[in-house]
Amino acid sequence: MIEFFGAIADPAVFATVLRVMTPLLLAALGVLISDRAGVLNIGMEGIMLSGALIGVLVSAATANPFLGLFAALIGGGLLGALMAFFINGLGTQFIITGIALNMAALAATTLGLFLATGDKGMSGALKSGVLPNLDIPLLGGVPILGPLLSGHHMLTYLAILAVPAVAIMLARTPFGLHIRAVGSDPKAAAAAGISRNRVQLYTLTLSGVFGGAAGAYLSMGYVSWFAQNMTAGRGFIALAAEVMGMGTAWGTFAAAAVLGIAETVAITMQTKGLPSELMQMIPYIVPAVMLTVYAARRQAKARKIS
Amino acid sequence: MTRSILAGLTEFALTALVIGLVILAVLVPLALSQPDPLEVLRLFVLGPFGTIRHMGNILEAATPTMMTGLAATIIFRAGMFNLGVEGSFFLGGLAAAATAVLLPLTGFVATPAAILVGALVGSLACIVPGYLRVRFGASEMVNSLVLNFAFLFAGVYVLNYVLRDPNAGALMSYKLPGDFTLDRLLQGTRLHTGVIIAFVACLLGGIWLYGTRSGLNVRIVGSSPGFASHLGLASSKLLMQAQIAGGLIAGMAGAIEVLGLYSRFSWTGLPGHGWTGITVAILARENPFLVIPAALFLAYLQVGGDMLARNLDVPSEIVGLVTAAIMLAVTAAAIFRHPAFLRLIRDIKGQEQGA
Repeated sequence: MIEFFGAIADPAVFATVLRVMTPLLLAALGVLISDRAGVLNIGMEGIMLSGALIGVLVSAATANPFLGLFAALIGGGLLGALMAFFINGLGTQFIITGIALNMAALAATTLGLFLATGDKGMSGALKSGVLPNLDIPLLGGVPILGPLLSGHHMLTYLAILAVPAVAIMLARTPFGLHIRAVGSDPKAAAAAGISRNRVQLYTLTLSGVFGGAAGAYLSMGYVSWFAQNMTAGRGFIALAAEVMGMGTAWGTFAAAAVLGIAETVAITMQTKGLPSELMQMIPYIVPAVMLTVYAARRQAKARKIS
Repeated sequence: MTRSILAGLTEFALTALVIGLVILAVLVPLALSQPDPLEVLRLFVLGPFGTIRHMGNILEAATPTMMTGLAATIIFRAGMFNLGVEGSFFLGGLAAAATAVLLPLTGFVATPAAILVGALVGSLACIVPGYLRVRFGASEMVNSLVLNFAFLFAGVYVLNYVLRDPNAGALMSYKLPGDFTLDRLLQGTRLHTGVIIAFVACLLGGIWLYGTRSGLNVRIVGSSPGFASHLGLASSKLLMQAQIAGGLIAGMAGAIEVLGLYSRFSWTGLPGHGWTGITVAILARENPFLVIPAALFLAYLQVGGDMLARNLDVPSEIVGLVTAAIMLAVTAAAIFRHPAFLRLIRDIKGQEQGA
């Protein structure tokens, strides 16, 4: 155990944990916001994938990575709004809407990549930008803490700052109250004059913006290119992280951290010569095990009460 | 009787109309970007019916999705959103290949044995999330989504460390022995006897769901769990039965796909037929008999897309967009639950009751 904490305190390992948990945390917070309003965003995977491509294409076209990020946020938000339109405007089921969005995004990003580069696999030919790392002045000079906390990717800081922001928004603002009202009892909310359709439109849009940021991080931070289906199920892991987080921003943060550590362990074990395929399973098995343990404990508690 | 058929036809006509509009909405902008827009439409819509060989391609493409569509239908009918069909399909294909490479079977038992092993191993990907839901109340949807990837990597591990042919260059298994194959049916295509199995499976599935007591019980548990428990049905057991049946069928589909089409196993990613199966199930309105035309229709789109890719410079991914749009359009309550449409259906049916 001491060895484990020693390893985490190693700046290089700590940086890897932050690197792999950033997209999970951003996407999971996005899932959280819309889930609290009653729509579990299964389409997160597709929104991330679209954000990743939009970021690369726009940053390559404008030679400005920040415009790329901005476009990814807008694109993600629009996709979220589109989902809300289908769910509440046309009356499709949210699970089917999410599955369809994932399917469409996989096809459309491959198509978009092909139209832009003539290649269906990777965007290596495009000169796309990378979003910068931030060195925090003053803090960077402090021994031990400095190297741990300074010099990470700008979206990593944004993701961590978003945790208290989302927590406060949900718990302490009128909009957060509306979200929770719609999510827990749409009829009572309607009686109080809160429109479910409007709240779900806003939350899905916001959820999409977070997904766009997670995607932009993947293609303009984690690596510097777009590859077909590069999210590889991360949107689904984020979904699991949100469910593990039991509907709170801090719980989601903790779950994303656990999954980030699991993935880091997987990455380091691979370099030590253990079969990479088995290690790649870890980030997918951990959420399944934890979800089941939670559910089992909840069930046991409910039985004790009754 | 005639009027209820007429009502069904009206609904079918509306569905066909909506699907046609969706296809045009996606295809027309694409066609306009090409030098000869009409040729794009002609090739996509009529091309698949051009020759016997292309029609064979449709049947070939529909073989796996008919079975995954049936699997998804049975699972959804029990009221579970278990998305493990994709993982089951992959595992089934892997296990069939492993049986062929590792077991010294020959003659007429070889292929059925490989399909059986594929079905049994493949069913795990549906059974595990189903069991975790029934036993512990864990969300079967989230669990099946993440476990699909866990099963994928476990399968790639087996491929890399057990089945891999070191002399093959790329990551692929040893050659499957000649007895492990399904006969080809049509020259010039890869159409194989698996298509017959798929047709029979859908028909049997429909008869089971609508014609037997256990099929009825599964439908009751799926559509109204409260009523089912009032009737004293063993809900957990019925739910598990549906997950097992769905998993077995999806695993069998993967096994049939590998034995029918390939001489080596080389999947290193999820092949996607499970997701298409979910679309098929939704398009078929979760009716096993309608799974057949739904799968054939999506396969027809796929062949049309392939023809565009081969003859013009239009990527076949366009089909993915069309499929996703169709999936949304046919489930849109705004269209199929629209008061005017419901009134029309009621009028058609109502006159019969009055007469």
